[in-house]
Amino acid sequence: MTDWKALAHAAGLAGDAQALERITQPLETIEAVFRPLTENLPPELEPACTFDPEEDAE
Amino acid sequence: MTILEAGRSLRAGSATAVELSTAALARIERLDPSLRAFITLTADRALADARRTDAELAAGLDRGPLQGIPVAVKDLFAIAGVPNTAGSLVYRDRVAAGDCAVVERLVEAGAVMLGTLNMHELAYGITSANPHFGAVRNPWDPDRSPGGSSGGSGAAVAAGLVFAAMGSDTGGSIRIPASFCGTVGLKPTYGRVSRYGVLPLAHTLDHMGPLARTVRDAAVVLNAIAGFDARDPASSRRPAEDFIPAEGCGIRGLRIGLAESFFFERIEAGVESAVRGAMARAEALGARLLPVRVPDPAAINAVGQIILLSEAAAVLEPYRQRRELFGEDVLALLDQGSLVPATDYIQAQRIRRSMQRSFAKAWSEVDCLITPATAITAPRIGQATVTIGGSEEPVRPAATRMSRPFNVLGLPALSIPCGLDSSGLPIGLQIAGPPFEEARLLRVGAALEDSGIGLSAVSGQLSATPEQGDC
Repeated sequence: MTDWKALAHAAGLAGDAQALERITQPLETIEAVFRPLTENLPPELEPACTFDPEEDAE
Repeated sequence: MTILEAGRSLRAGSATAVELSTAALARIERLDPSLRAFITLTADRALADARRTDAELAAGLDRGPLQGIPVAVKDLFAIAGVPNTAGSLVYRDRVAAGDCAVVERLVEAGAVMLGTLNMHELAYGITSANPHFGAVRNPWDPDRSPGGSSGGSGAAVAAGLVFAAMGSDTGGSIRIPASFCGTVGLKPTYGRVSRYGVLPLAHTLDHMGPLARTVRDAAVVLNAIAGFDARDPASSRRPAEDFIPAEGCGIRGLRIGLAESFFFERIEAGVESAVRGAMARAEALGARLLPVRVPDPAAINAVGQIILLSEAAAVLEPYRQRRELFGEDVLALLDQGSLVPATDYIQAQRIRRSMQRSFAKAWSEVDCLITPATAITAPRIGQATVTIGGSEEPVRPAATRMSRPFNVLGLPALSIPCGLDSSGLPIGLQIAGPPFEEARLLRVGAALEDSGIGLSAVSGQLSATPEQGDC
């Protein structure tokens, strides 16, 4: 998992402990769900950058 | 009085547009100092619009059911010559040079524009406790949040200040205030309503739609604003249609999906009871309730949060170093977004495409889904956490987790009131469906509303706070 606190420090965002927690804790929560989803994505899967809600089901 | 009823009064000569607008302005003058629903009131323009409407109707020029109806838009929507602040200091000196596409279409339909509505700062949050323009208050209980980010829109409609209001919805920002304020709120399919001229929060998640008192009133507004606009690169070329449900419309034989996992977990008991009661009513009306499996909404929400954090941080990056411009909560979200790597954003968009395909399979089994619109009813202003079933969680995810998946998937979703909880606060249910099937969702909503699901039977309770008036 990402060390968000280290990233925040490196980006100059680290204030007091409470401010740091306010930035990093939600990211840790999101990442716990998000990171496993990124495993085993097929290489041909395109991003939805031109987003089309009507794209047909596979 | 509904939009359709007011329209009939205008055409029958029993009311004039000037009378409707004058009543609305008087009500705003009386109630808005405490509600704080408006940021900019355009009273002179409204009365001029109303006088023109009366002259047009007298001359036989009928623009349709919105003609002469007082409306307002969230302060994210550009109205020519009017401040367009997005409830922020970032845009405090911005005055719109022209109308956004939605306002253009509302004006073309003859709506009377009363001004711009307060909101969560930059549309980036769900409380509408705006640090710069004041906290919007919920008409049902002034100590409660109206939800957000379109909190002024929800409060203005619920308090009878306007017949309908425009909101934007990036993770639930139309449906959450609709749920908390006891109004109808519709997030159309991505691409159905032009975003042109509306200040963005997250380009691939932002949707524009109406809040109104009834399902048919929301459909009247959608009729006016839907359709292709070449100025919005995401605008769909699919033709608009008549979205207004017929009187006595039925739902016999309709397949309503019941996604038990996730959508009926960790919700307040009163919310579950009311939503299940509405589903039983749908079944009594002839619909079939069918269990359905959908891709994990918690995973869809995580993907949506990565996309939102990244896109919003990009939009507001030119301002982020001027930290004094932002409220504490918005600044924290922008800082979070600045840390998300580009690879995660791209992965989120790839997973989004995969989830979109997987979710589409559900539409071969059911015609729509019914879920709670929010897991909770309106929290108190300033309340940070809620406790559901003995488990405490922050208010923000508790408010957004039912609605956000449909932003990620771009699917239409309608919130309608379905009762009150034990504290007398409105409860919302959500009807979601396949892309561009707004008419189907509105038909389901209207059938439930016609059957007595909603707040019509208890709307008199609003008299304890701002009573329902002529507008």
